[in-house]
Amino acid sequence: MRWLKKVGWRHAVGLLAIVFSLGPILFVISAALNPLGTLSSSRLMPTGVSLDNFTKLLRDTNFGQWFLNSVIIAGTASGVAVFVSALAAYVFSRRRFRGRRTGLLSLLLIQMFPQFLAVVAIFLMFGAITDYWPAIGFNTWWGLVLLYLGGALGVGTWLMKGFFDTVPRELDESATVDGAGHAQVFFRILLPLVAPVLAVTGLLAFISTINEFIFANIFLTDSSAKTLSVGLWGLVAAEQRNTNFGMFCAGTLLTAIPTVLVFQLLQRYIVEGLTAGAVKG
Amino acid sequence: MRIRAVGVAAALTLALIAAGCGDKANKSDKSGNAAGASAGAKATGELVIWADDKRAAALKPFADKFGTENGVTVKIQAISKDQQTTFVTASQQGSGPDVTVGAHDWIGNLVQNGAIDPVQLSDTQKSGIAANALKAVTFNGQTYGVPYATENLALIRNTDLAPQAPATIEDLIGTGQKLVKDKKAAEILCLQVGQTGDAYHLYPLYSSAGGYLFGTTASGDYNPKDLGVGTPASVAAFKKIAALGEKGSGALKRSITSDNSISTFTGKKCAFLVSGPWAITDVKKAGIKYDITPVPGFAGGKPAQPFLGVQTFYVAAKGKNKALAQEFVTNYVTTPDLAVALYQAEPRPPALTAAFDQVKGTDPDLAKWQAAAKDAIPLPSIPEMAAIWDPFGKAEAAIVGGADPAKTIEAAGKTISGSINK
Amino acid sequence: MAARLVKITLLGLVVAIAIWAAFPLAENHAWIGLGILVATTAGLLYLYLTRRHIPAKYLAPGTLLLVAFQVFPVLYTASTAFTNYGDGHRGSEEEAVVAIQTASVTQVPGSVQYALSIATTGDPATGPLVFLITDPATKTTKAGDAKGLKKLDPADVTVGVTGKVTAADGYTVLTAGQASLRSKEITALAVPVDGGAIRSSGLSRAYEGKAGRLYDKGCDCIRDTTTGKVWKADRRTGSFVAADGERLAQGWKVGVGFANFTRVVTDPDISGPFLRTLVWNFVFAIGSTGGTFLLGMFVAVALHSQRVRGRNLYRVLLVLPYAMPAFAMLLVWRDMFNKDFGLINNFFGIGVDWLGQPMTARIAVLLVQLWLGYPYMFLVTTGALQAIPGELSEASRIDGAGPWQSFRRIVLPLLMVALTPLLISSFAFNFNNFNAIYLTTEGGPFQPDNPANGATDLLITYTYRLAFGGSGAQYGYAAAISIFIFLIVGTISAIAFRRTRAQEEVYA
Repeated sequence: MRWLKKVGWRHAVGLLAIVFSLGPILFVISAALNPLGTLSSSRLMPTGVSLDNFTKLLRDTNFGQWFLNSVIIAGTASGVAVFVSALAAYVFSRRRFRGRRTGLLSLLLIQMFPQFLAVVAIFLMFGAITDYWPAIGFNTWWGLVLLYLGGALGVGTWLMKGFFDTVPRELDESATVDGAGHAQVFFRILLPLVAPVLAVTGLLAFISTINEFIFANIFLTDSSAKTLSVGLWGLVAAEQRNTNFGMFCAGTLLTAIPTVLVFQLLQRYIVEGLTAGAVKG
Repeated sequence: MRIRAVGVAAALTLALIAAGCGDKANKSDKSGNAAGASAGAKATGELVIWADDKRAAALKPFADKFGTENGVTVKIQAISKDQQTTFVTASQQGSGPDVTVGAHDWIGNLVQNGAIDPVQLSDTQKSGIAANALKAVTFNGQTYGVPYATENLALIRNTDLAPQAPATIEDLIGTGQKLVKDKKAAEILCLQVGQTGDAYHLYPLYSSAGGYLFGTTASGDYNPKDLGVGTPASVAAFKKIAALGEKGSGALKRSITSDNSISTFTGKKCAFLVSGPWAITDVKKAGIKYDITPVPGFAGGKPAQPFLGVQTFYVAAKGKNKALAQEFVTNYVTTPDLAVALYQAEPRPPALTAAFDQVKGTDPDLAKWQAAAKDAIPLPSIPEMAAIWDPFGKAEAAIVGGADPAKTIEAAGKTISGSINK
Repeated sequence: MAARLVKITLLGLVVAIAIWAAFPLAENHAWIGLGILVATTAGLLYLYLTRRHIPAKYLAPGTLLLVAFQVFPVLYTASTAFTNYGDGHRGSEEEAVVAIQTASVTQVPGSVQYALSIATTGDPATGPLVFLITDPATKTTKAGDAKGLKKLDPADVTVGVTGKVTAADGYTVLTAGQASLRSKEITALAVPVDGGAIRSSGLSRAYEGKAGRLYDKGCDCIRDTTTGKVWKADRRTGSFVAADGERLAQGWKVGVGFANFTRVVTDPDISGPFLRTLVWNFVFAIGSTGGTFLLGMFVAVALHSQRVRGRNLYRVLLVLPYAMPAFAMLLVWRDMFNKDFGLINNFFGIGVDWLGQPMTARIAVLLVQLWLGYPYMFLVTTGALQAIPGELSEASRIDGAGPWQSFRRIVLPLLMVALTPLLISSFAFNFNNFNAIYLTTEGGPFQPDNPANGATDLLITYTYRLAFGGSGAQYGYAAAISIFIFLIVGTISAIAFRRTRAQEEVYA
C-alpha cells in the first residue's frame, strides 16, 4: 500500500503516458508492416507482417543517403547551435549590460515572423552566395547548416538562460574572487553545471533541424543531397499518397532512430547525479 | 601587454599563412578554370531539369543519354513540394533550372511571371501531338511547352461487384445502393471530397448538371470575366449535387478523401471509383478486376466533362542555357522514346501519337482513358483559375454536408470574383 | 596559455575565412560586400583582442549568424509590404518588357523551318557566331549573322543526313557541347530577313519569327505590330494598360506606399472575422503551450524519483512522439480523425465528425498539439528538475511540509524560473504554428457562406489563404498582414516579458 502511494502512482502515470504516446505510433508501425501499405487497410494491429515496405524503401529510394545527410546536417547544426546559444545565455544570465532586455525580447520577436514569407529573401541571398562562394551556396550542406545557425540564438538562448538563472551566482562570484576570468567561469564552472540543459537543448535542436522542411526543400534539390524530411515528403506528394503510404510510415519510423540514439547518448547527462553534487557547493 | 603583442603578431602570422594558402588555392582554382576554357572542346554546357520525385527518376536515363549524345552535362533535380512556386521564385532570383516539368495549368501563372519561353514547333512536330494536348498548352495563341502525357478522370469499376457500366449517375447510385444493402460494399461511390472539397474530382458531375467555371471567348480561350460560379446555372447544378450528398443518397461524403478513396476501392469496399490513371497501379496491385468507362452524367443532363490535364516540358525564360533547353524540349522530348519511357514509369496516356500507338497494343486501358476523355475540356490555365479551387471546393464540401446550395455557392462566387478583381 | 593558443587559432581562422571570402567579391567588384566583410572582420579582431566589451564577446558569433540569416531576410520581407510584389509583379520593368516581347514572337505564317548548324568564323569559344541554315525543301544553304543572310556555294558545303550542315569552307561548325557554352549568344542572335528574323529553336532548328509586340521607348509603351494597339506603362500599378482597360499579364514590381496596409484595415474579409480568429489564435497558443506544459511537467515530476525503476525506458518511449517527423504525424492524425474510416471513431465505436464541426475540430487540433508537444515539455522539465538540488525539497519535508506543499513551495517556483522564458517562446511559436493547422484541418471547418475563414484558422493560416489563395501569390500583401500580426504578438509578448522581470531579479 505504501509502495502504491510512494511509487506505484508514478508507474501508473508513466504507463498511461506511454499508452497516449504510443497509440498513434502503433498505427504507423502497423501501416509500415502492412504489405499492402495503403491507408484504409491499416488498422491499429497489423493485418499482415512483412518487411516489404522497409526493403522497398531502402532499395528504390536514396533513403540511406538522405539519412546520412540528415544526421550530418542536424548533428553539425545542433552542435554549433548549442555552443553559440550557451555563450549568449551566459551573458544574458550573468552580466548586466545595456540592451540586455531588448536583446532578449528581440530574439523572441524575430522568431515570430512567418517563415514561409522569408523564402523569397532566402533565395535572393543564397542566389548571390552561390555566385560568389559556391562552396556554401545552394545544394551544399554548409549552406543549409549556416541557414539553420541563423536561428541558433532563438529558442536555445531562452531555454538556457532560464537554466543558468537557477545556478546560484555565489558559485561564479567566489570563483572570480579566486582570480578566474570570465572565460574560465564559463567553461570550467558553469558549463559542466548545466550539462543537462546543454543535452536537452542539443536534442531539441537536433530534432527540429532533422524535421525542418521548408528550407531544406528549396535548398537541396539534387536527389543525393536531400534530407529525410524532404525525401519522405516526396514519397507521399500528390497522387502517390496511397501507394507509398506504407513506405512513408517505414521511413517515418526509421527517421526516429537517430533521434532516439542521440537521446540515449545524452540520457547520461540528462539524468540525475551529475549535477546534484556540484550545486551543493 | 607583451603577451598581447605576441598574440597579435601570432594572429597576423597565422592570417598571412592562411592568406597565402587561400591565395594559392585560389590561383590553382583559376588556372583550372583557364585550362577548362582553353580546352573548350572538352568543356560542356550544363542543363538543369526540375521535376517531381517520380518523374525525375524516370527522366534520369534519358537525360544521361541526351547528355552523352550532345556532349553536355544534364542534371535532374527533384523538387518534392511546391515545384511551381519554387520554380517561379528561383527563376526570378536567377537560381532556377533550364527546363521544368509540370502540369499545363501552370502556364498562365508562369507566363505572367515571365518564367517560361514559348517553343516553336514545326508543323510535323505539331501534327505528332494529340490535338487536345496541343490545345491545352496553347495560351494566348502561343505554344508554351511540349506535352508528353495526358490525364483525365474516368469511372473505374470493380467488375466483380458491378458487371455493367452505369449509363447515368442515377444508375450508378442504384447499383451502389443495392451493393451496400447486400453488404457487398460499404460505400456507394468513391469520389474524393474531403473536408475542404475537391473541385477537380467534382467537375464532371458539376458540368453534367449544367454548371461551368469560366465561359469562353470567341477564340475558344477561357474568359476570366465570365465567371460561372454563383450563377443560377451553378445553383441548379449544386442542387442536383446536394441530392447525392450526405443528406441525400450518400453517394458523396466528406469522409471520402484524397487519402482513402483509392484504398477504399482497392479494399473492395466500394464498386465505383472516380479517379485518374495514377490510381491504376494500386488497383492492379490489389488484384481487382476492373474496367474503365467515362464518368457518367445525370440522366437527361449534359455530358459529364472531366478536366484534361497535360504533363508538359517547359523552357525556363531565365535559364542559363536556353539554347540547349530549347534543343532538349523541342527536338528531343518530341521523340517517342522518351514519352514511352515516361509512360512506363507511370501509366498515363502519352501525348505523342507515335508513342501512344506504340504502347496501346500492350495496354488496353489507354484506349479506355482516351474514350473517357472524349468530352474532356482542358483544365483552365489562366491565372484566375487559382482563385477558384479553394472557395469552390469548400462550397462543394459544405453542400455535400447538407448546407443550402444557393446561399453557399453564391457566397463562393462572391469570394472568387472578389479575389479575381483585386 | 592553452586558452590563448585556442583564441589565436580561432582568430587566425576568422581572418583566413575572411580572406577566402574576399577574393570572389574583389574579382566581381562587389565593393559594398567587400566593405562589409572587412568591417566585420576588423570589428571581430578588435572585439577579441581588447579586454573590454565582455558581453559582446559572447554574443558576437550568434548575433552575426542571426543578423545574416534571420534579421536580413525578415527585414527584406517586411520591406516588400510597401510594394506590389507577387505573381505577375516579380521583376523589373525591363524584365517585363523582355518577357512580353519574347512571348509575342511567332513563326511567320507560311515560312519554312530550317535545319540549323551553329558555326563560327573564328575560335569555337569566342569567335563571332554564324547560323548555317538549310532549307529542307530546296536544300539550299545560307549563312546568317546579325547583319543578314548570305547564300553559300553548294560546292563549299557538306550537308549531313539530317539536313544539317556538317562542314563548310571558312566556317567551323560547333559541336553541341561547344554551342551549349554559348547559349546566351545563340538565343540572342536574330538574323534579319524581310518580314522578320531567323532565330534558333534549340541547336538544330531555326525558324523565321516575328515579334508581335514591341516596346517603344518614346511613349514608354508596348505596341502591337499588326493591330497597332498600344499598352501604356502605368507606374502606379506596375503594368502595361491599354486605353480600353486591357492589362498585359506581365507586370513589374513597383512601390505602392501604404496601399497594402490600408487594404488590410479596410478589407471586410479581414476585419469581419478578425476578432474571432484572434481570440481562437490565443486559445490555441495558450492551450497548446499550457496543455503540453502541464502534462509534460506532471509526467516529469511523477517519474522524477530514484525509486521508479526503468525510468530510462519510460523516457525513451515518452520522447518518441517528438522524435517522429512532425509533419508526418500531423498527416497520420488527420487520417485518424476521419469520421467513417478514422482509427479514433473505429476504436471507440463512435461516429463523431471530428473535423467537420467547429468545437470538435478545435478539440482535435489541441489534442494533436498536446500529443506532439508534451514530450518536449517533459524533457525540459526533467532537465530542470535535475538542476534543482534534491536537498531543498527534502529539507522542507523535514520541516513538516507534505509532498504537494513542498512541490508547490520549493520545486515549482524554481521550475518556473527556468521555464518561464521557455513558455513565452513556446507561446510565440505556437501562435504562428502554421503546420499544426494547415496539415490537419486546413483551417476548417468553414461556414457555408464564408469560405475565407474557418473555425480553426490561425491568423497565419488565414493570411496564407488571403495572400496565396486568390490570384496567385501576393507577397506584398502577405507581408503587410504579417507586420500587423507581428505588432500584435510582439506587444503581447513584450508585456508578458515585462512581468517576468520581478521574478528574474530574485536570482539576478
